[in-house]
Amino acid sequence: MTVLLAFDLLLAASIVGLAAATLLMRDAFAMIVAFIVFGMLLALGWARLVAPDVALAEVAIGAGLSGALLLRTLAHLRGGGLSAQGGASVSAPTNGATQGINALLAGLATCALGLAYLGAPQNVPGLEAHVTDAMPESGVTHPVTAVLLNFRAYDTLMEVVVLLAAVIVVWQVERGLAETPAPALGTVYQGFARVALPVAVIAGGYLLWIGAEAPGGAFQAGAVLGAVAVLGLLSRHVRPAPAHRPLARGTFVAGTAIFALVALGVSGAGRETFEYPPAHAKTLILLIEAMVTVSIAATLAALFHGREPVTVATGKETT
Amino acid sequence: MIALSQATIYGLAGLAVFGLGLMGVLGAAERLRRLIALNLCAAGAGMVLIAAAWRSPPAVPDPVPHALVITGIVVMVSATAVALALIRRLHSLETDTDD
Amino acid sequence: MTDVMPDPLTLAILLPLFGAIAAFLLPRAAPAIGLGAVVATAAAIAVLGHLVVQAGTIFVPLGGWGAPLGIELRADGLALAMLGLTALIALGVGLGALAAFAGETEVGGQPMARQRAFFWPLCLLLLTGMNGVYLSNDLFNLYVMLEVISLAAVGLAVLGGTVAALRAGLAYMYASLLGALMMLLGVGFVYLQTGRLDLAGLAGAPDSAALSAAFGLMLVGLALKTALFPLHFWLPEAHANATAPASALLSALVVKAGLYILLRLAEAGPFPGEAILTLMGVLGTGAVLWGGVQALRAERLKLLVAWSTVAQMGLIFVALARAGLEGLSDSWRAAALLILAHAVAKAGMFLAAGRIKDVIGHDRISELDRSAVRPALAQLAFALAAISLIGLPPSLGFIGKWSLMEGAMMAGNWHWVAVTMAGTLLSVAYFTRALTGFLRFDRVRAPLDEHRGWALADAPPVVLAGLAVGLGLAAGPILAVLDLGTPFGAIP
Repeated sequence: MTVLLAFDLLLAASIVGLAAATLLMRDAFAMIVAFIVFGMLLALGWARLVAPDVALAEVAIGAGLSGALLLRTLAHLRGGGLSAQGGASVSAPTNGATQGINALLAGLATCALGLAYLGAPQNVPGLEAHVTDAMPESGVTHPVTAVLLNFRAYDTLMEVVVLLAAVIVVWQVERGLAETPAPALGTVYQGFARVALPVAVIAGGYLLWIGAEAPGGAFQAGAVLGAVAVLGLLSRHVRPAPAHRPLARGTFVAGTAIFALVALGVSGAGRETFEYPPAHAKTLILLIEAMVTVSIAATLAALFHGREPVTVATGKETT
Repeated sequence: MIALSQATIYGLAGLAVFGLGLMGVLGAAERLRRLIALNLCAAGAGMVLIAAAWRSPPAVPDPVPHALVITGIVVMVSATAVALALIRRLHSLETDTDD
Repeated sequence: MTDVMPDPLTLAILLPLFGAIAAFLLPRAAPAIGLGAVVATAAAIAVLGHLVVQAGTIFVPLGGWGAPLGIELRADGLALAMLGLTALIALGVGLGALAAFAGETEVGGQPMARQRAFFWPLCLLLLTGMNGVYLSNDLFNLYVMLEVISLAAVGLAVLGGTVAALRAGLAYMYASLLGALMMLLGVGFVYLQTGRLDLAGLAGAPDSAALSAAFGLMLVGLALKTALFPLHFWLPEAHANATAPASALLSALVVKAGLYILLRLAEAGPFPGEAILTLMGVLGTGAVLWGGVQALRAERLKLLVAWSTVAQMGLIFVALARAGLEGLSDSWRAAALLILAHAVAKAGMFLAAGRIKDVIGHDRISELDRSAVRPALAQLAFALAAISLIGLPPSLGFIGKWSLMEGAMMAGNWHWVAVTMAGTLLSVAYFTRALTGFLRFDRVRAPLDEHRGWALADAPPVVLAGLAVGLGLAAGPILAVLDLGTPFGAIP
């Protein structure tokens, strides 16, 4: 027990240390790598707190995809290559003294929060008893999936809406046909991608299916399939073109649309919106999850690609 | 004296991460660094929630905060993607026009 | 709630969502789809209004679970008033957008066709988020809704695509995200203490360090989102550099989401005591004065209007601080009236300012009177909106300010009365700068341009600004609606 506790202390200290290191790294590339490692350690910490679903989501999305997005942006800022150091003006003019005071205030506020945290009661019963009681009617056997897709399905729908909003804004901000995001994969990785793609597709499908009874589910599966699509972009198996836009738009919205339609469709005859008939709950949840998975995968890949594929007349716009 | 449970350790670490992120957002000058600092804030808030869900074994954790944090992770990656698109676009415009 | 199917609360949230999806799928038909979706949403709100009038507060347990396990939607008079007003403003701004995006592309900006295509999905997603906030009864759900609003609002703020808009949009994004994350950590503290997420869970909770921390975090986070002085730094540039319909939505609606949540927290919670309320009043005073001074110094019309938002939000915080004997249970009504009044007037004013800029070609205040073209109706709309924002009778703004001052005077809080008067005088001064520019003809050198006709584009700002003035006459019914379902308990 004490060994494990020592491990927890060490891990927690490493998490905090890496967070600090991330902010202190001078080089932007090192900063992003530190952030990704931070995410991995964080996932380990969550696994220690018996939160495997969250750990999976953090590795796949929080560390993995955010890291990929950050690296891709850094490559853009540095004019195509990650190795080149100069040319990236990532700073904005700011006032040093004000920032020092702000940081000091932030530190003080954090200390106050820490005291409040220590003063909070331990082990207040949460909603676990309610969840246990309602599980038989939820249509699935994994509690986290039941919360996400049934008890708090409305939140989850809105979360998918946030993703949709993000891709709409990204498309609006950036446009133009670019070469696939740099750096493109070398030949070795091209070969790797060919092997990895089918494996990852199967893994994603498995994660989706298993989510009903074990850690996994739409978001993790969507992230894995999204990674597949990102690999496809990097290995140039997928080249976004203007003609793909209607299909892409359809795929982005499919999850949200089906989710919302099911939520409305089940209502009436004494049932509220989102109240699945118990007999069909599992089928409906799987349908929603499958559509949401596809939408998440497509959306995450589009967020990585980062621009609406439009033919732009003037040369200036294609930067 | 407070019993040092797993939850307390990670909860306090989460608050520290949130605080570091807060300092970063308020103190850093670079756009990318501030965005990463915001991501640290999100991670810290997530740690506090997951710590609140922990129950001393053999009891299983409360699944509700787990679901909330998964939602939070997806929301944060969406926001990050939008901010990064703005950063890229701004960079392109600023280098184009010497502004 | 099962006799109507599906319930109008969910529809008020999901209809704009379906509209956003359709508008995104069919960019060419986006304006028609968008207006249709807004009208359909308004119809759902009308049905909801009928139910609320009959039954008072309505709860819908989504999924049939009920709080605390599931999420409940709640509608009462306050929510209904906000929903109705939001639909009205969305309709007005939407009609205004038809004309605003028909013009020529600004230099260095985004092509107009793209602006038109992307405005509607974002506007409807914003509407989804706003309606979601009004009807939400769950803390974590409020956080998610705030993020929906954030992303849609940032998208709207950068719609013009200029460097200035993008820079302001990124600063706005960071402020907005930080505010939401503070809210999230606050939710974590609430869960730590109470083990629940619904607002009702706060009501029974005894005072504790964790809850104080939670309220502190949520308060600061929401103040950041509401641009309470001195956390207002992101607002003026973001609102002034957006295209006019986007500015109208951002200024009229988006900042109100944070205020509305504050009101709901105050209603549910053991609200932080006198000290915090007084602090809010002091910061509000700072906003009234600083926003007023900056509006006096602004060189561009849209920047002036944006700074006046900072000042007006400050006034609403003053109203929250103490507009009555009993504190918030007494003063929320004045704050709600000011929120409604500011929303309608500011939507009209930003649309009018955008119209003026479109017609004259610039919005530099010092040169407004040299223009050869007279956008007379837009100027009239601007003046009408200014009447309500200054608080002249019979406008809705007057009713709001009056109930603030009446409450403060009855409670003997003369310092808040003085702040309100100072704010009023400042607003007279800064709006006069713009209005004199409209009224002076003597400096026109070129002959007046040919009259371009009363464009349809002038109708939305005039109607919205006219409503800002005229709704003051309907103050009685509005107050009656606000009291439906007795938010904040029985009428004192």
